Amino acid sequence: MTGINLRGIDKRYGSVDVINNFELQINPGEFLVFLGPSGCGKSTLMRMIAGLEEVSAGEIHVAGRDVTHLAPGARDIAMVFQHYALYPHMTVYDNMAFGLRNVGVPRDEIDRRVQEAARMLELVPLLERKPVEMSGGQRQRVAIGRAVVKEPLAFLFDEPLSNLDAALRGRTRIELARLHQRLKTTMIFVTHDQVEAMTLATRIVVMNAGRIEQLGRPMEIYHRPATRFVAGFIGSPAMNFLDVDRIEAPNGFVAVRLPDGTTVQTSVPAAGLPTQSKLTLGVRPEALSIGAAEESDVLVGNAEVVERLGDQTFAHIALRNGELVIVQAGADSTISVGDLVGVRLDHSAVHLFDQSGIAYHAQARSVA
Amino acid sequence: MHLKVGNKFGDRLILAAVIALAIAWIAPLVWVFALSFKPDEFLAQRTDVMLSPPFTLKNYLNILGTSQVFGWTINSLIVACTQTLATLLLASLAGYGFARTEFRGKNVLFFIVLAGLAVPEQAIIVPLHAMFADLQMHNTYSALVLPRLALPFGVFLMTQYFKAIPKDIEEAAMLDNASRLKIFFRVILPLSIPAQATLGIFTFLNAWNDYLWPLVSASNPEMYTLTLGLASTQTNFAQSEGLGFLMAQAVFASLPVFIVYLFFQKYIVAAVSGKTVR
Ligand SMILES: Nc1ncnc2c1ncn2[C@@H]1O[C@H](COP(=O)(O)OP(=O)(O)OP(=O)(O)O)[C@@H](O)[C@H]1O
Ligand SMILES: [Mg+2]
Repeated sequence: MTGINLRGIDKRYGSVDVINNFELQINPGEFLVFLGPSGCGKSTLMRMIAGLEEVSAGEIHVAGRDVTHLAPGARDIAMVFQHYALYPHMTVYDNMAFGLRNVGVPRDEIDRRVQEAARMLELVPLLERKPVEMSGGQRQRVAIGRAVVKEPLAFLFDEPLSNLDAALRGRTRIELARLHQRLKTTMIFVTHDQVEAMTLATRIVVMNAGRIEQLGRPMEIYHRPATRFVAGFIGSPAMNFLDVDRIEAPNGFVAVRLPDGTTVQTSVPAAGLPTQSKLTLGVRPEALSIGAAEESDVLVGNAEVVERLGDQTFAHIALRNGELVIVQAGADSTISVGDLVGVRLDHSAVHLFDQSGIAYHAQARSVA
Repeated sequence: MHLKVGNKFGDRLILAAVIALAIAWIAPLVWVFALSFKPDEFLAQRTDVMLSPPFTLKNYLNILGTSQVFGWTINSLIVACTQTLATLLLASLAGYGFARTEFRGKNVLFFIVLAGLAVPEQAIIVPLHAMFADLQMHNTYSALVLPRLALPFGVFLMTQYFKAIPKDIEEAAMLDNASRLKIFFRVILPLSIPAQATLGIFTFLNAWNDYLWPLVSASNPEMYTLTLGLASTQTNFAQSEGLGFLMAQAVFASLPVFIVYLFFQKYIVAAVSGKTVR
């Protein structure tokens, strides 16, 4: 079996369970992103794949080979660290060549690979510099170059962009996407930035407290989040959640009553939903729109904050029961703070969550 | 030092005070240097002279004429250099162990090392003497060097320094297929050069200026170090005569120290001010 296979990985520090029975098949050539809040175990998982951390239980297979107990250098995997971790006393050239020299790659082969990586990453004029003589972005490219010259089976990136400023982060992200298209090597990328995850990943693993919450393609995760945690974690501004009561509906779809008494007929099929009556309704800001307070079937509230971003406007509406919902209004919306408005709801785009956080979606629509 | 801009008078005052202190500190050294070029007979009458004639090189020629001076210098060089190199190697290895590996009893061991910092030299000199006497090792280079290698300060310094080197650099080297030893010698040691220089200079100067232990251990004039040898040539207690010769000896003995200082000035300044040179 090719790719990287994680089988029943456990990691404990003393009595603390950080990773619990983690199972994952990473396909060859895939760009897999681990996404999750701070402390959920992303780095730990990555370091176990790299061999920098022992597993407490389980097996790691890379390209069909059991590497669970191999030294980091013997796994044919390269890693790019968050703080670059360049050798400060070596030139850019030597930083890239060090690993190759250690395994006795012939001189001219080393030179060929370093020059090629340098050309690809625009490092040619910097080859004789030391890390202190370079900017953060340049150092990051050297760190990537050091990984590239090894021609590994997989690349690991642990939040490689988090030390760069916003503009550079955006550029480097695109460079990484290009690098992946060019090399077609497996890449595993850790981040807690959902934009990075959405734009780079072929598949995203959303993690929470050492477990997989959901594994799927970016748009799948966005449109059909498996749990309330995923729904709240992906999307900015975050999905709105409202506590609702389920009410009888004869047509096979679930209807719910909101705290202010409004009833909403959703497109979520009733079959398969647990019979409990307390549910949470989730709806993204773009599935809401601003209407008049007098319309029927709208949530009535006052605009508390209006954020104008230029291409779109987010209105924070305080409902009668005090709950806040965020509505994406058009760029040219005339809404202003204090206005009494009605919030319309796209019934086909609401999600329901039961009390254990499991999601139920409107009938499947095609997702990219 | 951070000085407030615009406080010119204050700056000048501080500068003046610093200069005054520097003069007070350097004046005796200049005096020693000046006296070393005066004839002994002249100095028997007056010593309040500096730059006026008569001058002579006789005192220095006399040093070179004392047949054993070269032997003593060689002894000092051998002792100081071995001691420095061995201390650097031992302190680095031990410091790396303490900083980066996990083993049973590590904390206790480190505590013992630190406790060693609190033991004054005078307290152990008698037992040391007895031990080397039992081993019949007095009057050897080993006797002069070995006791000084148990240097808690060096281990402590290197441990702290290695701890401050980011771990991920080493992890990158592990992923680059470097063995532990290779990581130590190719990555860690080069990165610790400032600390090595600091420790090396202190060790060398200490070894060179050491007097007490050589005095106890080396009784054979062949094994004297320079400090010991020069002291042994002082003929009378109050030094009412031969003053120029004595001063020339002092200058001669401090030459290597002076040279070390010239070469490693920036590291010494950094070490004393508690900063590191990058
Ligand atoms: N050496 C260690 N000893 C004890 N606990 C540890 C150790 N390393 C990590 N942990 C714990 O393991 C958990 C996961 O840490 P990890 O670094 O993998 O999180 P992360 O998902 O990478 O977070 P971040 O996004 O902040 O980098 C944390 O709760 C952390 O406190
Ligand atoms: Mg992390």
